[in-house]
Amino acid sequence: MSIEEQYRTRAKELLSGGAVKMVIGYGKGSNAKRRRPIFISSADEVDRLVLDDACITNLSGYLVSEGLLSDEKRVAVFLRPEGIRAINILAAESQLDAEQIVIFGFDVAGNEIKALKGINVEEFSDVIDSIKEGAPEAAEEELFEKIEKMSPQERFSFWQEEFAKCIKCYACRQACPMCYCRRCIVDSNQPQWVNTSSHTLGNFEWNIVRAFHLSGRCVECGNCDRACPVNIPLRLINHRMAEEVLGAFDHFAGTSKTQEPVLASFKKDDSETFIL
Amino acid sequence: MTKILFSDKLDNCVERWKSAGLTVIGPVQRANISTYAAVEHAAELDFGLVLPDRSIKDLFFPQSEPMLRYTIKKESIDTDECLPPSGPRIIFGARPCDASGMAIDDPLFGWDYKDEYWFQRRNETVIVTIACTKADDFCMCTSLKMAPDSTKGSDIMLRPLAGNKGWLVEELTDRGREAFKTIADILQESSDPAAPLAVVEKKFDLDACVAWLQNPENFESRFWKEISMRCIGCASCTYLCPTCHCFDIQDEGDTYTGIRRKNWDSCSFALFTMHTSGHNPRSTQSARWRQRIMHKFNYFPGKFSVNSCSGCGRCSRQCPVDMGITETLQEISKLSL
Repeated sequence: MSIEEQYRTRAKELLSGGAVKMVIGYGKGSNAKRRRPIFISSADEVDRLVLDDACITNLSGYLVSEGLLSDEKRVAVFLRPEGIRAINILAAESQLDAEQIVIFGFDVAGNEIKALKGINVEEFSDVIDSIKEGAPEAAEEELFEKIEKMSPQERFSFWQEEFAKCIKCYACRQACPMCYCRRCIVDSNQPQWVNTSSHTLGNFEWNIVRAFHLSGRCVECGNCDRACPVNIPLRLINHRMAEEVLGAFDHFAGTSKTQEPVLASFKKDDSETFIL
Repeated sequence: MTKILFSDKLDNCVERWKSAGLTVIGPVQRANISTYAAVEHAAELDFGLVLPDRSIKDLFFPQSEPMLRYTIKKESIDTDECLPPSGPRIIFGARPCDASGMAIDDPLFGWDYKDEYWFQRRNETVIVTIACTKADDFCMCTSLKMAPDSTKGSDIMLRPLAGNKGWLVEELTDRGREAFKTIADILQESSDPAAPLAVVEKKFDLDACVAWLQNPENFESRFWKEISMRCIGCASCTYLCPTCHCFDIQDEGDTYTGIRRKNWDSCSFALFTMHTSGHNPRSTQSARWRQRIMHKFNYFPGKFSVNSCSGCGRCSRQCPVDMGITETLQEISKLSL
């Protein structure tokens, strides 16, 4: 039985027995290459669930939709390892109760779908440890290295050109499971802390604020990068910040649901090489 | 016999227009995105795109536009109005859906108040449109009763010749004729046939959708919640749309001096309708998505007798969660059967 069929069967059991009230998964999209998030509440509909190598979007952000978990019922969700890390962070930051989340874990290697064993977030710690040790994708690494080798001026010009494309649609924020604030700082307008204008300064303000805010929290699922309609390589910024946090604080985001948020906790032996 | 502009002569045209003082703008690929931008040479233009990622709207209604500078003094406030930089332009190689998008927005910007920023740019810009010979899964002009060679909003319509050799020229407006007078001697007479137009499948029954939307009973339909459940509430669809035109006015600066700007805004955002009291009449994403559809296919045509959609499909093409106008209207088509 394929993993897709196994998970459909599991979804059917969970829904018909009332163990979960909803399954958040992937369904067919508007063309053969696309998959879209779907929300299944009835056992009769599980055949709409699809699982293949086009299932990329990290669905964990839907779990913190207003009111979804407030009835304390359980919700099942299809997650890749990055999504599972996101559950740990959301739990650690008190945004959800991990007990309410039933995980349909999977990973994609080439065109192959691999099921990840487990149901509760604690059961996936081996998988998470293995990504910590893993190497990033080659294509991404190449551009990343190229930017690393640039002088600060060249790097600034690179990002200036990229941010010039930003239209402040906030797709990066809305697609991000870590951007769960009910009211984002840029939407606070009494006073208006951050310029809403999409000019050079405003675009820098937005993208830099977001980079810092995600430091030590980003799981590098790539939702922001893929959502960006003007193709700004946002993933590179987050990857750079993740490396920085790993080097400075030995913190890899999302290893457990009790992991203390790195920038909201303090240890006596934290390195103090800079003042921000 | 029709007039033909051969591709290998385009650079001469660009030179000619530039010497006549026009800024030449066209489809280009820059920094990993396709858009319409000013060029120096014809070689920079990319005619192989189905359509650029960004629409031509930005050239008439930029994402952030300074309106006035102000200085608050003890007894008075000094203001200095900013009008857009003036100068004639020619957009060479717009797509029919983009050109018609501008014509769709004309009545809106000229309705109770004539928007000088919009009309100054409109009056100074010649739009030369190239009919489409290819389409992708998301193109939907035919569903909007338009076509890959719709002339709405265009000053010149070019129909590609077979083998990318050039274009058949159709002059549509005085503004177009004026611009093409400059290159009259470069055009050649020929009876070469045009390449076949793109085939764009009709995806929904627009009339049925509009009738469903106009029925007040459907305003509170469960459909809205179901269709928009996966909407993440970004403004990708709105900001890439050639006809979405909503904006916010913001003062940027300190207590005494600053600049008033007109910035794009989107009905997808919760803040769009948030009242000072904290009450939000469109408190859910489904109410916001309903507004977007209702505005385009019910309220806007009710006021201006034209749908606020030109069928470019960017909303669906770029949506991070694979939503868009196409799917919504397809589903409404089914409901109205």
